[in-house]
Amino acid sequence: MRKLYLAISLLVLASMVLAACQPQAVEVVKTVVVEKEGETVVITATPEAAPAEEAGPKTLRLNLGPGDVPTIDPALATDTSSTQINILTMVGLTRQDEVTTETKPGMAKEWTISEDGLTYTFKLRDDVTWVKYDGTQVVQVTDCEGNPRKVTANDFKYGILRTLAPATASDYAYVLAFALKGAADYNAGKTEDPETVGVKVIDDYTLELTFNEPAAYNAQIAGMWVAYAQPSWLIDGDDCTEARGDRWTETGFFQGYGPYTLKEWVHDSYITLIKNPFWPGTEDIPQAKIDEVTFTMLDEVPAFAEYEAGNMDATGVPLADIDRVKADPTLSAELEIAPVQCTYYYGFNTKAPVVDDVRVRLALSKAIDRQGLIDNVLKGGQEPAQWFSRPGLAGAPTIDKFPDLGVKYDPEGAKALLDEYLKEKNLTADQLDLTLMFNTSSGHQKIAEAIQQMWKDNLGVNVKLVNQEWKVYLKTIKGKDTPQIWRLGWCQDYPDANNFIREVFSLGGSGNPDEDPKDGVPDGGINLLDEAFEAKVREAARELDPAKRVQLYAEAEDMLVVKNAAIAPIYWYTRVTVTKPYVQRTFSVLGGQEAIYKWDIKK
Amino acid sequence: MGRYIARRLIYLFVVLFVVSVITFGLMHAVPGGPFDREKKLPKEIMENLNKRYHLDEPLVMQYGRYMYDVMIPHFSIKAPTSSLLDDHLFNVKVGPIWIKWMNFGPSYSSRSRTVNDIFRDQLPISMQLGLMALFVALVIGLPLGILAALKQNTIFDYLGMSVAIFGVSVPVIVLGPILIYIFGVSLKLLPPTGWGAKPPYVLGFLPAKLDWNFWKYAIMPPIALGLGSSAIIARLTRASLLQVIREDYIRTARAKGLQERLVITRHALKNSLIPVVTILGPMFAALVTGTFVTELTFGIPGMGKYFVTSITNRDYPVIMGTILLYVVFLVIANLVVDILYAYLDPRIRYD
Repeated sequence: MRKLYLAISLLVLASMVLAACQPQAVEVVKTVVVEKEGETVVITATPEAAPAEEAGPKTLRLNLGPGDVPTIDPALATDTSSTQINILTMVGLTRQDEVTTETKPGMAKEWTISEDGLTYTFKLRDDVTWVKYDGTQVVQVTDCEGNPRKVTANDFKYGILRTLAPATASDYAYVLAFALKGAADYNAGKTEDPETVGVKVIDDYTLELTFNEPAAYNAQIAGMWVAYAQPSWLIDGDDCTEARGDRWTETGFFQGYGPYTLKEWVHDSYITLIKNPFWPGTEDIPQAKIDEVTFTMLDEVPAFAEYEAGNMDATGVPLADIDRVKADPTLSAELEIAPVQCTYYYGFNTKAPVVDDVRVRLALSKAIDRQGLIDNVLKGGQEPAQWFSRPGLAGAPTIDKFPDLGVKYDPEGAKALLDEYLKEKNLTADQLDLTLMFNTSSGHQKIAEAIQQMWKDNLGVNVKLVNQEWKVYLKTIKGKDTPQIWRLGWCQDYPDANNFIREVFSLGGSGNPDEDPKDGVPDGGINLLDEAFEAKVREAARELDPAKRVQLYAEAEDMLVVKNAAIAPIYWYTRVTVTKPYVQRTFSVLGGQEAIYKWDIKK
Repeated sequence: MGRYIARRLIYLFVVLFVVSVITFGLMHAVPGGPFDREKKLPKEIMENLNKRYHLDEPLVMQYGRYMYDVMIPHFSIKAPTSSLLDDHLFNVKVGPIWIKWMNFGPSYSSRSRTVNDIFRDQLPISMQLGLMALFVALVIGLPLGILAALKQNTIFDYLGMSVAIFGVSVPVIVLGPILIYIFGVSLKLLPPTGWGAKPPYVLGFLPAKLDWNFWKYAIMPPIALGLGSSAIIARLTRASLLQVIREDYIRTARAKGLQERLVITRHALKNSLIPVVTILGPMFAALVTGTFVTELTFGIPGMGKYFVTSITNRDYPVIMGTILLYVVFLVIANLVVDILYAYLDPRIRYD
């Protein structure tokens, strides 16, 4: 009883403090519902009473994760938070459907492809204008004569060339440099003539792009944020606009043309986007229904607290809370586990002692109980990976069609393979000296310990665990000191199997690095030199028939994870989120790029 | 005294120089660079990036360029531009000439910001939080310590010291989420995360409006952060006061018939504060330049995380900026402490 009394007196005290601060509290509410004087009076009387949102604009609060969004400049964006803002404030020539990963029209109404498959002619929409938030509302940007500035082919050409310019020093310029004709030389500073780049303005609403390869994913690359239109007058200045240079993306300066535009960016704290009423609304990118979207920059744990307090509309679930969420009747109904286009894997240095024998590698791979790992350690409903290119990517094999492709948990098979090797070498399992290295993180540690135990139980081998700080680790696994077994994950840049199996594991890829391309020998990673594999992934990239492409990639995967057993794929990522029931949403598989213009709030 | 302060300020520059050389050397000696990615960037892209940030130059040149940009005022007839590479902390126009001073460089990981932006936007928040936490620490710690010392070996002593042990042993990472859960999630009295002030700031670090909108965010974090420090202060105050009470001059004061209250406040307390003031210097510097865990737990957009993330990102200008900033705060705080010594104990003289 005494405790209760104390609590009550504390509450009384707290309410007195609240009461003392009320004049300000009234002000706050007033700014939210400006028109409704009558209602604010009601709120004054009971400060903790019903929220007054019903009558106001529809707002949404989401979380992007800790740390400031690195940039919202499409030329410089590299990470998922940055590109989340990019896809809402601007639109590329094409747009990836965030659920089906199909390539849909974006700013281009339609496009034609030349017979050799290299030249794409894009017909642009002529009804989209540049907009900005002027402090009270979204207005159209006008040119020096006072006419609204339309988004034209020139803006796209400027954007592509700005991304490629050496002085911009864009990380992701390499995607354009690799794909667009002449772009590599321009990006490397070998030529300063922009006309050598394969981007040509035919008229205000027709843009022609010329590519290096007749590849299936050219239309996707044309739709990436690095190829968005950018406002030259704002960045470089013109007769009636002050040049903002690198700072053009700040609050008050920013101009865009997508379904949303920037209202406020308080660095390290939040970004608020506001609906752009001038976006015409297309079949694939409709006009936004939610008026304002605020992205906070919180760690997962405080973000989840905000969700439970009712201040956040959707957020990720921290690992420590997953069991509780699954058991809670309300929260479990709001839970959604959705696929993400990423793969977690262990690589083998195929030139290192012991793992230089393919039987050892395959045995280690087969001895991993992936489902057990997911159920007991990861708990996020991940999918056991049988190969590298995550199903859902264009060109990637799916479990439905290829149930037996790749590797599965098979302790007997694994043991048999290892015994064969041990017999030949006249060794016992505990004599094998094996090291697994990962970058320092409690999550990777847990996974490594679980797999270490599986190897011990199923094969009898003792594997040492070593960890290094991330950047040191990256150097280690890409050089001559690459350990026998190492871990990495891979997420898509664009949703195509080419971005996975070829860009990561063909010679010179990030998992099979080649420091000195002249010698044609890998220098770390999986250390794999397999001409047949190289030829297969090249062939798959050029194949235009989707069904044949999948077949080719399935064969390439078989070479990678079984014949060479150069990697042990472990799991395909999922995302564990909770969403309030009043939010009608889609679940993007594109790694954080949510199409919020399709969402709605129904309270 | 004036000469002493001047000497100490010159000494600050020597410390800054030494720290900058060591930091610069160490951060370049650690393997890995700012643009090393999981997916290795093509050579041409790396060259463009290195060129933009002058990382292609010899290290000595890079160091020289950095110190030149930070230390030496630049004179120019051109107005400051909005380029990230030309962002100075101080821009003064004298006649037709612009004097620009202190360019701490761009951030490599936040491609749209400079270190100066972080100083301008994030440091004030950390200072607000740190000052309030220090206030909490003193308000709780000092009375607790004094009470425990004066009532040594009584229930007050044991209770006070138990609270102190609790404060030391329950870190913010535990206390923070508990407070958030009780007051933010269950009772909904306070917002669980966030901060109630944003740029621009008054005098460079004070929030523009001190209303409930500010205070409701500023209740839990300073308490969570200040409690640990208050425990340290309480224990130190108690130990020091106990020692002073046994000094001869206290016996003298009592012998000449002075009231006990005056003996404690005038003679004992003032002298016993010297060790407390000593630790307040570094404590102040550590609290106001940002506290990683507290800021992460409460979602406060302060400077704390930059001390950590800049190193994992190899964001060289941010590493240098944060370390040098910490050094400046530390040296100045210690200088203030030294000056306070002279006030607390008249026997200490510096000339």
